[in-house]
Amino acid sequence: MIIIGENIHVIAKAVSTAIRERDAGVIRDLARAQTEAGADYIDLNVGPMKRDPEENMHWLVGTVQEVTDLPLSIDTMNPVAMEAGLKGCKKRPLLNSASGKTDSKGQMLPLARKYNCSVVISVMTDKGMPPDVDSKIESIMDTVTYANELGISNEDIWVDPIVLPVSTAGEGQRFTVANLEFIKILGDVLPGVKSTVGLSNVSNGVPNELRPLLNCVYLVMLAKNGLYSAIADPLDKELMSMMKGSMPREVELIHKTMDGEDVSLSALAQKQVHYVKTAKVLMGETLYSDAWLES
Amino acid sequence: MDYKAPVEAYNGVVREITIGKGNKSLKIGGENILPFHFFDQGSSPNPARFALEILDMKPEDWPEHAVEPYRDVISDPVAWAKKCQGFGVDAISLFLVSTDPAVKNSPADKAAALVREVAGAIDVPLIVYGSGDEVKDVEVLSKVAEVCDGMNLLIGPVLKENYEAVGKAILEHGHTAIAQSPLDINLLKELNVKLSKFFPAERIVIDPLSSALGYGMEYSFSLIERVKQIGIMTKDSMTMMPIIANLGGECWKTKQAKENKKQGLLWEGVTAMSLLLAGANIVVLRHPETLRLIKETIQAR
Repeated sequence: MIIIGENIHVIAKAVSTAIRERDAGVIRDLARAQTEAGADYIDLNVGPMKRDPEENMHWLVGTVQEVTDLPLSIDTMNPVAMEAGLKGCKKRPLLNSASGKTDSKGQMLPLARKYNCSVVISVMTDKGMPPDVDSKIESIMDTVTYANELGISNEDIWVDPIVLPVSTAGEGQRFTVANLEFIKILGDVLPGVKSTVGLSNVSNGVPNELRPLLNCVYLVMLAKNGLYSAIADPLDKELMSMMKGSMPREVELIHKTMDGEDVSLSALAQKQVHYVKTAKVLMGETLYSDAWLES
Repeated sequence: MDYKAPVEAYNGVVREITIGKGNKSLKIGGENILPFHFFDQGSSPNPARFALEILDMKPEDWPEHAVEPYRDVISDPVAWAKKCQGFGVDAISLFLVSTDPAVKNSPADKAAALVREVAGAIDVPLIVYGSGDEVKDVEVLSKVAEVCDGMNLLIGPVLKENYEAVGKAILEHGHTAIAQSPLDINLLKELNVKLSKFFPAERIVIDPLSSALGYGMEYSFSLIERVKQIGIMTKDSMTMMPIIANLGGECWKTKQAKENKKQGLLWEGVTAMSLLLAGANIVVLRHPETLRLIKETIQAR
């Protein structure tokens, strides 16, 4: 599993302040910590970057590359900032992201071609978020075909089905289930494409102390279905251990749950019970509530 | 070749709950089939139940045609409750609106005494709703539970914000609880999980909030339908409770119901019928003619 470290993210106040005030220390620390934790890419999520996109992005990319040799994922919806970021990368970067929206097809995909980089393409279109597996597949096939015509090969395309919070009233579980299914069939529909998800969004709106459990179990489940990479928190030790193969029994337990095997909870330690209950919520078998571990 | 209709059988059973005591008691829920799916394997031992609502004060914003059946008793909740019995109700639902700090902020003692008086005067079980003010209700509903000790009233709303205190009083004094959450199945389950840590799940009735036709009824419909499906089809213990649809007040608030009587009756009737089809076990109505209309519809008369 390729982990794209998510921690340099403008929603974090420390990061937005550091960029504005050119405080290289904060940025370097985050880049270094994620590198040491075993990330494969460093994501630079700068949001729309309305002010001075070129200067800001140039500084940020330079600062991060002072302390890490990892490739970067340039994460912005601003094409000017995107180009400045891609231009400054020493290693072959990841353009994060394009979509099936007209603007994105016109501005972002040509940049991926121009800089010969990999590109995340989400299932979004001008009509918004496709509601189910079939419409997600339909929309991504259209956008990938368009990208192919521009000269971008399937091997350079990382498809993003868009992860939404499992806690969204009544609907959240439908999304988590649909994405598991989507990842499972993606390789058959579009041979050679890679895949990625913004993992942490699955636990948005959930009590903070419970978020890592959802992130971790969902990643194991998506990985079983063939997910190639995830934008996630490499500083989450449990998540990294699961992905690096040092928790095989726990991973196996989650797999068994997904396969519908009868797992006897009474024989398990509490932590393991939590993995099973969480997997059942994410596969839509148990109705979600914030108290899902307690019932 | 003969066609054989498929017959479904499920594992989940909605808990059968008794409200009231002795010859004043009433059973609700208990079904292991989806609403009105009498063709499937299983049963629905208790039919849909009906309550009429009364207030603890003279209503201020009711249209003339909603007041009309109760005109002679509308300032006297005890007489009002007795009159409702004459319309063939299974239960009476008393709303303690006057206790709301934004209405009259009337004291808990007075409310509790009235509840006791009404409960003693009628031959059907009593449902009691506080004002919905999460702070004041702790005081009011706890007092009601205490003063009516052992009468097994159906008391609510028990909310996420006050379930510990209100739940404790309802439990200690031998009543049944209405757990209410704001039109959200995840929050509904969470409240049931938390409440049932100290409160028997066999004494919880779910109030998912019922919206009127044209004012979000489809949300209530989908939610009730889903609670029932998840309980009966997937046997989720925390949704296997009977459902109360408290819809009279919501319907008669609408512009359409206020405009004229026929429209009001149809508004309330269509809402009630819809939520019954979704799976409500007991509905609270305002107008006695709606009650008659719904009963006749169900009995196909």
